[in-house]
Amino acid sequence: MLQRFLDPSVLAGISGLDLIAKTVVDGFIAGLHRSPDFGFSQEFAEYRAYTPGDDLRHVDWNVFARTERAFLKRYRGETNSQLTILLDASRSMKFGSHATDKLEYAKFLAASLAYLAHMQRDAAGLIVFDDEVRRYVRASSRQGQLARILHAIENAQAGARTDFARPFLTLQEFLRRRGIVAAISDFWEQPAKIVQTVEPLRYRGNDLILFHVLDPEEIHPRLRHPALLEDLETGEAMEVSPDYVSHEYRSKVDAHLEDLRTRAKGAGIDYFLIDTSRPLDAALREYLAIRKGKM
Amino acid sequence: MGFFAPWFLAGIAAVGLPVWLHLLKKHRSDPRPFPSLMLFERREVSSVKHRRLEHLVLFALRAAMLILLALLFANPFIRRAIPIARQKHLTVIAVDDSFSMRAGNRLQQAKDQAQSILASLRPGDPVQVVALGAQIQTLTQPTTDLAEARAAIHSIQPADSRASFGELARYSRTLAESVQSPIELDLVSDLQKSAMPPGFADLRLDPGTNLVLHQVGDAAPNWTVESVTAPRRVYDPKKVRIQAIIAGFGAPAAKRAVSLLLNGKSLQTKTVDVPENGRAQVEFLGLDAPYGFSRGEVRIDSADILAADDHYDFAVERADPKKILFVDDGRHPRAELYYKAALDASPDSAFTLESLRPEQAANAKLANYALIVVSDLGALAGGFEDSLKGYVSSGGALLIALGPASAAAPRVPVLDEAIQSSAYAHPEGEMFLSVSELDTGDPVMRAVERFDGVKFYQAIRVTSAKSRVLARLNDGTPLVLERAIGEGKVMAFTSTFDNTANDLPLHAAWVPFVQRSAEYLGGEGSDQPVNVTADSYIELRASGDKTGAAEVLFDGRRLLSLEEAASARNFAVHNEGFYELKTASGRRSLIAVHADRRESDLAVIPKETLDLWKATGSDDSASGAPASADQGDKKPWGLWPILLLILLGVAVAESIVADRHLKPPPAVEKSKRKEAA
Repeated sequence: MLQRFLDPSVLAGISGLDLIAKTVVDGFIAGLHRSPDFGFSQEFAEYRAYTPGDDLRHVDWNVFARTERAFLKRYRGETNSQLTILLDASRSMKFGSHATDKLEYAKFLAASLAYLAHMQRDAAGLIVFDDEVRRYVRASSRQGQLARILHAIENAQAGARTDFARPFLTLQEFLRRRGIVAAISDFWEQPAKIVQTVEPLRYRGNDLILFHVLDPEEIHPRLRHPALLEDLETGEAMEVSPDYVSHEYRSKVDAHLEDLRTRAKGAGIDYFLIDTSRPLDAALREYLAIRKGKM
Repeated sequence: MGFFAPWFLAGIAAVGLPVWLHLLKKHRSDPRPFPSLMLFERREVSSVKHRRLEHLVLFALRAAMLILLALLFANPFIRRAIPIARQKHLTVIAVDDSFSMRAGNRLQQAKDQAQSILASLRPGDPVQVVALGAQIQTLTQPTTDLAEARAAIHSIQPADSRASFGELARYSRTLAESVQSPIELDLVSDLQKSAMPPGFADLRLDPGTNLVLHQVGDAAPNWTVESVTAPRRVYDPKKVRIQAIIAGFGAPAAKRAVSLLLNGKSLQTKTVDVPENGRAQVEFLGLDAPYGFSRGEVRIDSADILAADDHYDFAVERADPKKILFVDDGRHPRAELYYKAALDASPDSAFTLESLRPEQAANAKLANYALIVVSDLGALAGGFEDSLKGYVSSGGALLIALGPASAAAPRVPVLDEAIQSSAYAHPEGEMFLSVSELDTGDPVMRAVERFDGVKFYQAIRVTSAKSRVLARLNDGTPLVLERAIGEGKVMAFTSTFDNTANDLPLHAAWVPFVQRSAEYLGGEGSDQPVNVTADSYIELRASGDKTGAAEVLFDGRRLLSLEEAASARNFAVHNEGFYELKTASGRRSLIAVHADRRESDLAVIPKETLDLWKATGSDDSASGAPASADQGDKKPWGLWPILLLILLGVAVAESIVADRHLKPPPAVEKSKRKEAA
């Protein structure tokens, strides 16, 4: 049942990203057999000694009355993190060999991540980019933040070609708290350059997850006849033969993926390849596993 | 080789369509979008050459389909020579037995000629014998039995029909379609000019028909009694006038003695000068005919070769005029005057008129009258109306005129239709009523020519619940109504018979209206002519009449079988002479039948015309050369079945090739199916 709802083609039939995200996340959580310990209750977590500058509203005055020492009462909900989603809206993301194209799939994923963060009281932010930043929603846990993020995701349109340098530079400027950065893209760039671009974020204590979204036709394209292929971003056209696609291209793309995975791992970056024909829960599971480990 | 519909070859231009499509296809680069070509390398991987070759095969198949389709519509044919040795000609011997063949011994000559044609045939050759008159009489079916054909020729007897070469040509065309083999049509005839149809196209023969003409007799001078005008009934023998036209065909000016005979007895003889190739009229006054039917005859003393047309039969009937009772109360004194004047306008009037007042008429024996005319009496005395009803029911006829006296009456007497009101128009002004609707199928109304120019100032508006309206005024008022009661008939005229309520008696329509209505109602009306030409039809019973038995006697012989007597509606008379007829309704009459006098003109068709006729049966008709029986015929042979088979084959091949080359890859098909879902 859950698998059916997480199927991309089924999700594409649901109107409204909030409903999609709710369907995915609620269904996914309900499918887990135990409640997550990172839930959204106001459960007591710990006391911390007051230090000047702390908000007096959080002082436990009962403890102060008994002990005359000021402690701050902290709840689990306050041990929050910050999630920043980088959504690639370049023209190549518009490609799709079946009902859901890559950009649509990436939108579902981004919305689900934002919803999940919202449920955990995590601050969430969004950057939509192609060759420059198209939309930026500052990370926050304020009321209405989820709606802002979902609106921004919904309005994301496939734009120009991908250029990682500028959006990541922007992100470095805006990112003041450590947190989790989830980059959703097809990463059609040299792996070395990608890792080189995103690595500085890792140095600042951020957890980086690369969601590599690819269409099955990109990984294993099938051609019966020679065809003229046109690059969606550059407009360059090239005639290719079925032989090349079935042999050389496949080995090249495998090597490309492996190279990116290896380089990301080497740089301490989590890498996850997502095939748009697969359900969304695998991507979410990956994210939650990382999230849990970083709490 | 030729084409039956060559203009369809223009359809070959449609080959341009696949040329355009394939060229467009060839030059059209249909790029498939791909996210990134980062991992692709530019190298020569194209197999365009191979693809072009395959598409050329497809193109060739498609072009061939279009060309074949255009050729199929153009319907090509080739002329195939059919060797004479391999063909069996059907010999059709047509012997003219029309009225003109009675001249001299022409018919015997024709039969001898036909026998000689038969003798020239080889054993096993198919032959058919037909007799040519107004219609073709097939004496044998196509047969190889020459004895049967010989007997058929021998059995041919002189007839009184008129020959029709158009009918012969039509028959040969029909025969050619059914026998599917060449026909040799041997026409043995006097080739009379008058037997030609009005249009030469009617003589057209099938291309496989070879016409061979055998002329018997030549043009000869001939005098004839062309027509006789005599009354069908004689009421006053002294007033009878009989006119006869004596014509000379191809004959010099001559004096001819013309005799009038009645029942074989010569009554009068006159001499007339007939001009060269002209006509002369003879008139006989008085015909002392006995009561009943008499056989009249006008005869000339010509010494030509066609004696059969020297007399002309006509039938007359001697009878007493019938009585009409005119009932008038003196309110319309001029009505009787007008009515009588109209009735007596014809010299041989079949009726005499008696006038009585209503009170006298009530005591008169009505059955003695063929027709009773009631002139605007208003409501009748009960006894008189009952007498009239009884008279009509037993087969009598009543004509009622309505006028001012009837306006106050509640209903029309005997007719039993309610009187509603009067329709008035001012006689001094321009306001008047006229007839707007007329039942021209009615014999009385047909004679009055729509009452043209007649003005009606007053008419009595009556209902037409039980009656048939024969004429109606422009305000919708019924003018003439008719109703059958029992065995009799009642006719009502909703205006007066004088010129107070209308001016009908002052118009020409008045006389035919009075005479035709009197004849129709008084039992004299009959459409059956008593003097007809041969091959005409005489009516034995009215449509739908299944009662009674008809009877036709000719020379004392009954011509109808029992079944025909009980059910036949009409009967064709083919021979000259007198036919005694009793129709199913019991009416007896004597009918005189005479041959069509166009047969009396023995002029022969010019040779040029005959050559043209023969040429219509030849494929070389344009050159005018007659077809020879020795030549092998070339017939057009359509190629469309072959073309159709080739087209089907090409269509199948095109489907296979197109499926192989233009089918989308499975991945695309799958995604399309998903999108559709």
